[in-house]
Amino acid sequence: MQHKGASILALAALALASGRARADTPSLVIGAVYVGSVNDYGYNRSFHDAFAQVGKDLPGVKLLEAENVPESAEVERVMEGMIQQGARLIFPTSFGYQDAARRVAKRHKDVAFEFAGDGPTAKNFGVFFGSTQAAWYPMGVAAGKMTRSAKLGFVIGMPIGYALGNVNAFELGARSVNPAARTFVVVTGGWSDKAKEAGAANALLDQGCDVVAMHVDSPATIIQTVEARGGMSIGFQSVEARALAPKGWLTGLGFDWAPFVAKVARSVMANQFRGEAVYQGLGGMVAMAPFGAAVPPDVQALVNAAAAKVAKGFNPFTGPLKTNTGALALPPGATVGADQMGGLNWYVEGVVGKVR
Amino acid sequence: MSAPLALGVAAGAVLSGTSLLYATLGETLGERAGIVNLGLEGIMLMGASVGFATTAATGSPWLGLGAAAAAGGLGNLLFGWLVVTRRANQLAGGLAMLFFGFGASALIGAPYVGAVITGLPKWRPAFLQELPWVRGTTLFHYDILIWLAAPVTGLVWWALFRTRWGLGVRAVGESPAAAYASGRDPGVLQYQALAAGGVLGGLAGAHLALSLTLTWAEYMTAGRGFIAIALVIFSKWRPLRALAGALLFGGAEALELQLQARGAGISPFLLEMFPYLLTILVLLAWGGSRRLFAPAALGRTFYGLD
Repeated sequence: MQHKGASILALAALALASGRARADTPSLVIGAVYVGSVNDYGYNRSFHDAFAQVGKDLPGVKLLEAENVPESAEVERVMEGMIQQGARLIFPTSFGYQDAARRVAKRHKDVAFEFAGDGPTAKNFGVFFGSTQAAWYPMGVAAGKMTRSAKLGFVIGMPIGYALGNVNAFELGARSVNPAARTFVVVTGGWSDKAKEAGAANALLDQGCDVVAMHVDSPATIIQTVEARGGMSIGFQSVEARALAPKGWLTGLGFDWAPFVAKVARSVMANQFRGEAVYQGLGGMVAMAPFGAAVPPDVQALVNAAAAKVAKGFNPFTGPLKTNTGALALPPGATVGADQMGGLNWYVEGVVGKVR
Repeated sequence: MSAPLALGVAAGAVLSGTSLLYATLGETLGERAGIVNLGLEGIMLMGASVGFATTAATGSPWLGLGAAAAAGGLGNLLFGWLVVTRRANQLAGGLAMLFFGFGASALIGAPYVGAVITGLPKWRPAFLQELPWVRGTTLFHYDILIWLAAPVTGLVWWALFRTRWGLGVRAVGESPAAAYASGRDPGVLQYQALAAGGVLGGLAGAHLALSLTLTWAEYMTAGRGFIAIALVIFSKWRPLRALAGALLFGGAEALELQLQARGAGISPFLLEMFPYLLTILVLLAWGGSRRLFAPAALGRTFYGLD
């Protein structure tokens, strides 16, 4: 009798314990891999903020994060480790993770992958990105109106098509309100070389640019350097960067990945994940930062109007467009779409710089 | 070369050449004592990360500067223990220090990435403030490490060539046996030179983090430690020439950025190579024979005290 009672008690305890364990088991484990630190006020921070947001909004989501993972064989190890810890949705957030991510995806057909970049999709492999190029057009409008020297500076990490597209749209926007505006491009050679970025920002300011924009992993060093010398800055990657430039911040672009991540997470939880290519621009994954105190209301109105145009589908990459070497980049009526940006290899008229 | 370009290059040369100079001076001290530290990059990284972490945690860039100097000195002392006391191979030990510095700095700096710090304060003398070609630029608006760059160079030269201590250090670098025969302890002198050199290396890293970029990122020195090692050879182990070398390399780096900022019509990839090409060319033309100029016992281990 006593034994039976004890065993009933034991069974009850076991049931309670396993019930509690089941409540603790997350309904979805998401793995996120970053090439840098999530505190960079930039690209990696934008993803971290989105995942944290989704972790709060959706019940039962657990997040595994790995920072500073280099674009080498290491990332494969990291992703395998996350899958072993139960991850069913993996976000390799850096472009250089592509090959490793595809290999791991082939080995684990039951795990969903969303790669921040481009390339072919598979049943468990989707690609996505925020199309920033057209969104730089209203940024150019802001810069074109606020510059006093008609010289704008743009620091990019490497001259890949997406960066060139950002620069071109920026210049086109600036020219639309200031025909004399020119954009000077400095290439640092890497996405995160801080000392070079500081040198590039100083060089642009030395040569007379008074508004500096950038496409590097973290805008922090450039914005701080420009702010210390009294210049104006336009941020990129994360809208939080405006905290670094209380006086000189004009506006900026950032990524708002949260709605897309939430949608994908829900589809994985419902076992309805589809590997698709999803690109969204201004109003979707790409968001505009608040204006700085330096921007007067009439300029804000112009910028907002340009942003609304872009959100409705205006493509600044519409021919006829000339390159900065005088050649015809786009004949009348031709366009460059968001999915073709990766192959862009020219600077538009008004940009000062050589692509390669 | 037009005036804005020349001024821009001069301004950039000083900014980026300062950390190179401190690193080169630090390595010169060690190599004059016969020890080559290939892990200079690791020492600089430790100085940068400890300096940045201390500044972020305490709010004082001065404390950060002191901590960076101490970290560099301790790092080099650790290296000294490896190669002087334990008699490890200097080249391998140096590379071990490189990876150690890389990892330790990443570990120390990780919680502080993205922290916003007040960097080292900058001063410009009042009488220069009025000059039109100075106002609005970074010229002569420098932090203490840049203002002290030339005096520290002079100090290192004076210590090496005008003091008995320096004579002893150089003697150890030329012939530890002769130094020992003259009554000096080669190991102690090597430790002292390494400690002083490590302090300078730590300051080199601190300048990058606390003044130039105001941030910390893994491997932010991006190869500057190795450039400094090359500059030691280029300067023929003489501190005053190290000043010229650091300005030359800093100027080359500034030139490639300034040319892009002006629009020079040259491929950015070629421009990016320029500082390194220049270093190779200069070494070819003026490097001379290492055999003639290097301290004779550089890289050798002294076993005489057994």
